[in-house]
Amino acid sequence: MKLIRLSIVIFIFLNILSCASNQSPREVSNYSVPVDNFSKTVELLVTNEAFLEQEILKINAQNPSVQRILISADDLLMQEKFLQANSALERAYRITKQDGALYLRLAHLRYKQGLLQESESFASKGLLLSDISSWERLLLNVYLKN
Amino acid sequence: MKFKLTIGFFIGFTSIIVLIFLSAVIAVIDYRVTTKLDGVLWTVPAKLYSRPMELAEGLKLNQDNLIRELEMLSYESVSKPDSPGQFYLSKNDLKIYLRGYQDQRSGIFDVEFEQSQIKRISNQLGISEDLIKLEPIVIGGMYPAHMEDRVLLNWPEVPQILIDTILAVEDQNFFNHYGVSLKSISRAFLKNIQAGEVEQGGSTITQQLAKSLFFSSEQTIRRKVMEAIASLLIEFHYSKEEILLAYINDVFLAQSGKRAIHGFGMGAQHFFGTSIRNLSTDQVAMLVGMLKGPSLYNPRRNPVNATERRNLVLKVLNRSNKIDDSNFENLKKKQLGLSAPNYRTETKYPAFHDLVRLELQKNFDEEELRTKGLAIETNIDPVLQESLENSIRETKQQLIKKYGTKLNDLEGSAIAVDVTNGEIKSVVGSTSPSSFGFNRSINAIRPIGSLVKPLIYLTALDKYNEYNLTTILDDSKLSLMSGGKLWEPDNFDKKFHGEIPLHVALWQSYNIASARLGLDIGYASVENMFMNLGIQKSVPNYPSLFIGSFELSPYEAIQAYQTIAADGFYTPLRSIRQIKDTKGDLEFSYPYSIEQRVRPEPVALLKFGMQQTFIRGTARGYPLDKIKSWNAGGKTGTSDDQRDSWFVGFAGELLVLVWLGFDDNRPTPLTGRTGAFQVWKNFINSINPVESDKNVLPRIEYVWTDMRDGLLSGKKCKNSLLVPFIKGTEPKTIPNVRRKCATKFDRSDSGVLDKLREVFEGGQG
Repeated sequence: MKLIRLSIVIFIFLNILSCASNQSPREVSNYSVPVDNFSKTVELLVTNEAFLEQEILKINAQNPSVQRILISADDLLMQEKFLQANSALERAYRITKQDGALYLRLAHLRYKQGLLQESESFASKGLLLSDISSWERLLLNVYLKN
Repeated sequence: MKFKLTIGFFIGFTSIIVLIFLSAVIAVIDYRVTTKLDGVLWTVPAKLYSRPMELAEGLKLNQDNLIRELEMLSYESVSKPDSPGQFYLSKNDLKIYLRGYQDQRSGIFDVEFEQSQIKRISNQLGISEDLIKLEPIVIGGMYPAHMEDRVLLNWPEVPQILIDTILAVEDQNFFNHYGVSLKSISRAFLKNIQAGEVEQGGSTITQQLAKSLFFSSEQTIRRKVMEAIASLLIEFHYSKEEILLAYINDVFLAQSGKRAIHGFGMGAQHFFGTSIRNLSTDQVAMLVGMLKGPSLYNPRRNPVNATERRNLVLKVLNRSNKIDDSNFENLKKKQLGLSAPNYRTETKYPAFHDLVRLELQKNFDEEELRTKGLAIETNIDPVLQESLENSIRETKQQLIKKYGTKLNDLEGSAIAVDVTNGEIKSVVGSTSPSSFGFNRSINAIRPIGSLVKPLIYLTALDKYNEYNLTTILDDSKLSLMSGGKLWEPDNFDKKFHGEIPLHVALWQSYNIASARLGLDIGYASVENMFMNLGIQKSVPNYPSLFIGSFELSPYEAIQAYQTIAADGFYTPLRSIRQIKDTKGDLEFSYPYSIEQRVRPEPVALLKFGMQQTFIRGTARGYPLDKIKSWNAGGKTGTSDDQRDSWFVGFAGELLVLVWLGFDDNRPTPLTGRTGAFQVWKNFINSINPVESDKNVLPRIEYVWTDMRDGLLSGKKCKNSLLVPFIKGTEPKTIPNVRRKCATKFDRSDSGVLDKLREVFEGGQG
């Protein structure tokens, strides 16, 4: 009996440990959406490009240097200066390759440029990152559906 | 009457002829003046720049490489940086006085390192700065036939001190004459008599401009008259500011090899390694002083003359109240402060130039490149380029020492690219990398030997329901008819190895197992994979393809490996980043483009196999923690009779490919390990890449397997290895002999948790 109890305790302990190790350390609580509104939000993301863009541009980079570049890239994107926006994003990308905010913008920029296959590829690459929030993951998945 | 009429007619006729002739001469000169000043003078060759190094908080960077770049940029190591172009390094803290470039202002910045990462950047006031930028290195230009090189300045870019100095020394009355000034000639004459030396010239700036633009230096009355007419015409057509600006952009300052340095913009770059706006008064004085005799007062060849002349110019400035007495005394004592000539402006890195030219030819014609003053920002990393050149040069010497003079004309090529975005960081096309000539990186098409094997294995692993890393391959004798002949491949060790797991066959580079695998999966699948990886050649249908008879250039081969190193995302390699016009506006860009061509999971399995090359295969020798932190992987290649020695390997964010061999295709004594890998190793050791970022693939799990039979094993069992599998494809059986040494915890995680994680995290297929 003792052995069974010990096994159960070890099993639960290992499960907690495993869950913790797989948990993304960064949670973006600002973007958590109430459950009943969730499907509506997803539908909006897929159908309303302006809403999608608004949500993408809300995602901040973790690194302040990168964030500063993203602010200027966002301005250029809004002005539809795509080449310049891309240059800015590539500058940021040379500093870090581990930020979901970057992949989201690159996927979105390519989408706006009409390069749908590239947009999807950037989203796929972003999904390989270990440190992205569930919301970022969801947004990246929107581009996989193009 | 008739006589008078004839005389009158003759005089009138002659006058008309003379007038017509004079008008024609003036018209010709006028045409030349306007054409030249409107056109040719403003033609500027395109310049090639290295990538400007940007430093940002959080950036991973090898500190030694940063210092090497500063030295290449002629930054001086001092104990207290107090002027642009100086730095001080103490352990993890770098104080740097930037010269300034584009939007980066000049000033002192403090860069704090923590291990191989920038922790903080702050300015002189201690306020945090997100980003700072070093100036790039000019690596060459697209020079026109006359080889005139200049950096074109616009009026707002011309500093007042330069205008003041030029006018004080060359033409004090510039704004008051009409191109020719008797007053200037007489005043210069008197001043020079008073001073007892030549402080001022007699010609106006307009005359000097006319002379340098249209006439030779011969001193004839005819030339003087033409020069005067041209000067008057210049004054008629252009404003004083335009004339002065043309002068500032056109004056000849120095000869550098075949290249003529024209204008103060280029002069500042050539002698001080910075833009004109960053020059101090004494530096401006030196450049203006050179006008009197560019060769006599060349500061590199005749520093004493140049210093004396500079001080004379400073004296003129002092007399005309442009600088006060104490300033004059201080400036007089200063060193010339020249930058090292080596890294400035000469055309360097010929193999890289070839790649740039090939890329440019797609979008620009020669004329545009030679005249529009385009600024071509390339992706070259000068520190990596120098290291790669040194590595191939030095390795060749080491090999000659070991194998003798028969390797004297050994040739080679090497390319380093950034795995993460396809930027070409450095290219070498010869074992004498600085000489122009046959560029082997793009022109040597050679059999790739075992470099083909990872491509074959990836084709198999991509069929993940049929193949995984422990699938048993057959490495026994193979005989088959190919092209009407019997084909019987051999292994390098001339042995057969029977049944072996796939990953072992890969890192041991067994030929027969690879050939059998290739035949099993078929030519069509292999060709399709080659295409996905970026190889644009058709694949020949003969079995020797599977063991390396396939021919590629180093450039084509590294393109395919780029897709592997980047987890299956194909990115066309890029030597150019962007091109800007003279105003600094973006003219053309070469954006980072990706396309997922292979699923990341099979690529992850292949990369595991390639990592074994470093751990236990032909590239062994590095400590395990280094291999892991770099996430390194690679493959050696040796073609028939050792005619070609190849190595391709990724470490950190770098992918580097090396080829060695003879141009006439004769055998070498080298294998992939003893030849090309040595170049790779010397290069990687010299630059010590920072550790690579690691991605997570939720559908990959690690399982202990046996290295001989590929079945389940345990951590404590002999010959066991933790091998990655795509979930669901791992071996399920464990032989009875290993039941004791293997425990149920030897698998990395439980199936229940995997299911839960898939539900929460999703993932991609």
